[in-house]
Amino acid sequence: MADDGVLTSPAYRRIFTHMGEYKAARMDRVFSALGDPTRRAILARLATEDARVTDLAAGFAISLNSVSKHIRALERAGLLRRRVVGREHLLSLQPEPLADAAAWIDHYRRFWDGRLAALEAYVLEKKRKRQ
Amino acid sequence: MTVATAPPIVVVRRRIAASAAELFEAWLDPAALAHWMRPETIQRTTARVDARVGGRYEVIMEVDTRVIPHRGEYLMIDPPRRLVFTWNSPYTGERDTLVAVDFLAAGPDTEIVVTHQQLPEAELAAHERGWTSALEKLAAYHGGR
Repeated sequence: MADDGVLTSPAYRRIFTHMGEYKAARMDRVFSALGDPTRRAILARLATEDARVTDLAAGFAISLNSVSKHIRALERAGLLRRRVVGREHLLSLQPEPLADAAAWIDHYRRFWDGRLAALEAYVLEKKRKRQ
Repeated sequence: MTVATAPPIVVVRRRIAASAAELFEAWLDPAALAHWMRPETIQRTTARVDARVGGRYEVIMEVDTRVIPHRGEYLMIDPPRRLVFTWNSPYTGERDTLVAVDFLAAGPDTEIVVTHQQLPEAELAAHERGWTSALEKLAAYHGGR
């Protein structure tokens, strides 16, 4: 079955069991940061190239202040880096924290796939015995 | 480069040839849970359930000498349609996550949809409210832009 070894695989133990407080807190911020369409759009934009804050803001139908707020949330999550070059703030994507989020999603997709298959087997077996 | 632009939510579906009532019961019956809440590497699962809103459950999985506890609280029990509970284990960094299970009629079968997200719903809603209110204030400040 697809979920064989999911709970005890070394990769997940590394990610979850030995996950330090700092990393756990960062993952909270990553998930929170990703839970917003504007912030996801900002990440998608920065995936293609670095951008100045002003240029980035011009692509959204919300104020510069609102975009700045989203940018700060992404910075707190460690998802982007800001460099100040003269008067310009240049933003670049930092994809590493996304790997933890992706691992979490993959772990639970496999886990629930396996559990629902087992639930089906259990319920059908129970019905068969009754008949 | 690939960037995850989808919300960090796991959604898993399965169509099963049984009634929603039968399936719903299998989520709240400790004996049933001990059977199917057992991934292949797990040798034994024991379950305890206090099936009421605000009640708690405990699903303990054992492999060799390792014990992997899963615990949580029922937030919604709406048989045979919807079950919502928190989910906390070593694999969530021992923090509460949120699982919603929907039981949808599909002819003689039932489609089960499991939605698992990282933050409890209350917290997500608070985040959203925070942002909405901040954006509204900003919009007012900027003359309704």
